[in-house]
Amino acid sequence: MNSTWLLYMFFSLALIGTGIYALLAMKNLIKLFIGIEIVGKGVSLALLATGYAKANILLAQSLVVTFIVVEVCLVATALALIINVTRHTKSLDVRSLTKLRG
Amino acid sequence: MIFLYIGLPLIVAALLPLIGRASKKLLPDVLGNGVFLFLLVYGLTGAKSLISAGPVVQSLDWFGETTALKVAVDGFSLFMLAVIALVSLCVGLYSIDYMNHYGSKANYYALLLLMVAGMNGLVLVTDLFQVYLFLEVAAVASYALVAFGLEHDELEAAFKYLMLSVIASAAILVSIAVLFGMTGSLGFAAVAEGLRALNAPGVVAICAALFLLGFGLKAALIPFHAWLPDAHPSAPAPISAMLSGLLIKVSGVYAMTRIFFHVFGLTPALSQVLMWLGAVSIVLAALLAVGQKDMKRMLAYSSISQVGYVVLGIGIGTPLGIAGGLFHLLNHAVAKSLLFLTSGSVQQATGTRNLEEMGGLAKRMPVTAATSLIGSLSISGVPPLGGFWSKLLIIIALVQSREGLLAVIAVLASVMTLWYYLIMQRQAFFGKLNERWAAVKEAPFWMAAATVILALICLGLGIVFSTVITTWIQPAADGLAKGMGI
Amino acid sequence: MILQIGLLIGLVLSSVLAILAKDLIKAAIALAAGSLLLGIVFFRMGAPYAGVFEISVVAGLITVLFILTIALTKAEGEVAESKAALWAFPVFFVLFIAIDALVMKGLMNKIPALPATAETGVFGDVLWKQRTFDLVGQLAVILSGVFAVLALFRKRDKDE
Repeated sequence: MNSTWLLYMFFSLALIGTGIYALLAMKNLIKLFIGIEIVGKGVSLALLATGYAKANILLAQSLVVTFIVVEVCLVATALALIINVTRHTKSLDVRSLTKLRG
Repeated sequence: MIFLYIGLPLIVAALLPLIGRASKKLLPDVLGNGVFLFLLVYGLTGAKSLISAGPVVQSLDWFGETTALKVAVDGFSLFMLAVIALVSLCVGLYSIDYMNHYGSKANYYALLLLMVAGMNGLVLVTDLFQVYLFLEVAAVASYALVAFGLEHDELEAAFKYLMLSVIASAAILVSIAVLFGMTGSLGFAAVAEGLRALNAPGVVAICAALFLLGFGLKAALIPFHAWLPDAHPSAPAPISAMLSGLLIKVSGVYAMTRIFFHVFGLTPALSQVLMWLGAVSIVLAALLAVGQKDMKRMLAYSSISQVGYVVLGIGIGTPLGIAGGLFHLLNHAVAKSLLFLTSGSVQQATGTRNLEEMGGLAKRMPVTAATSLIGSLSISGVPPLGGFWSKLLIIIALVQSREGLLAVIAVLASVMTLWYYLIMQRQAFFGKLNERWAAVKEAPFWMAAATVILALICLGLGIVFSTVITTWIQPAADGLAKGMGI
Repeated sequence: MILQIGLLIGLVLSSVLAILAKDLIKAAIALAAGSLLLGIVFFRMGAPYAGVFEISVVAGLITVLFILTIALTKAEGEVAESKAALWAFPVFFVLFIAIDALVMKGLMNKIPALPATAETGVFGDVLWKQRTFDLVGQLAVILSGVFAVLALFRKRDKDE
């Protein structure tokens, strides 16, 4: 695959990696949500870059549009969970959510 | 009209809030269970004849114009559809009584129907991206269902589940992007053909690893299992049954199996990886289950362990192994949902999930105790219940493939499974009746009825196992081995 | 191409800023800026629909939902991020970028690909006729999201 695609994938993976780090290391619930967002950006970039490299940009766009719709629903559910959690624990700290162990 | 499997739950789910305004409990109960019953009956009768000649592709015709809504059915998909319909019907019946004190039943049934629609969709599509899409449909519904009671534990479990699922989705999508980049298409057959033409084992291995990460997370294979022991105990009992009995198998095991067999092809390396992943799950989860005091947490670890058996069986790759794995999938779906439902009955009656606080409940709740015992024995692999036959098939297949070590592991883990289940049964149901529970009553009608139905099926699967295998499992295994050819 | 790289670097930097920012509103703005840059990247790749969607939905709608959540949880006080995580981040980031670059370089010319077939039609046709099933899936996931939010925000009735 050509180098343009690899360049885009480089940035896409950088975003996904940053997002996953945020998901695993941050303590503020809202920062965790930011992590989810960044992962989403990385994934849509990956999908579109692949379409671009294959000159299939229209197909890739429909995939990205669908993915963004899924992301919005995910975000809405996640935020609803966060708001409910803060009603219970009165805190945005994920450390207060340690009643259950893995 | 296979498309009904996706369309009917979707439409009824969309209409439920309107209906919910008119009738808070009765109509949602009737409609939800009606849909499940219809799908089950249709699957067992009409749809079966459809595939007698081989895999079938159906397009939906919209006013005479053929749309691009194609669904493909083969033995494997139909088998999964039947399992989904069966378990969701029993869960739906159980929910009639159990969900009464949670409120908003119309909303609950709508989410349940959407989760079923998502799972059915996953099973019926032939396109990599659509597998991801319907996986997310079921997942979003499940996050809300896990947190449905809005208590602290449920919210915490749902949130952690959500976060790990995001990682799973990212892994799956990156892999899909790479496969799309290589082959230029997304359909199973086209990608498989493209990969055969390209012959790039290194990159395929990376994609397979990413899929393993993503779907393994969804199936809660060790080491990707961290969300399950929290999510399943905290969720309302019928939802735990749906998750353990269906979701981890459909969005985890089915998706992985379908893609590995039909897109990548089961190479010896992949077979070994799957078998050992399965074995690790079986052993570690069984060990973790032994010390648990929380009844549902023990069941959750047991789920991880049994899914390990399914992956082990499928990973062997021989027809006998695949048949054993699929039969175990069916047995576990039925038995584990039964066990979670009975644990919900116990929790509702006594208010606790702590095994050490229970005792002698069989005297007050005989139906629940009996059905729970049947479920436990089935999963532990005690003849003549279903689980015995499926585990036997897997072990025989392992021996035939000269995997002696894995066979020994499978047998030993089975003994351990029996041990912790017997402990659970003794602590909860048998022994002296704890005075605190002197006044508890048996579970309400629909809850008990649902557990009885599942228990009878456990018995049935064991007694008529050969018929079940020839009519359902064999076509499924054949479907996997042959490929869909679409 | 240089402009694309610049925009992408800006995107990564704004994402990093969103994680490291102490003030949540600043984080939200950084995230929205990142989406804006990504939208422009999409435009320049010849994907106007994706670009529009990215900007209006992710930079617009999601940012609004985000700020709504921040407002609704504002009374809950500050959460001090662990110093370790914040200091480890630059190290992790640089390491990750380095490994990322090396992997990409290693994969150069190693990933085979079938020749691309030309695409015909317009975006509308592709979305509605070719990927119709995706639309069914979108409908299902939207319904899931709507019911999820309704379920999570419902009023508890008296008979519970």
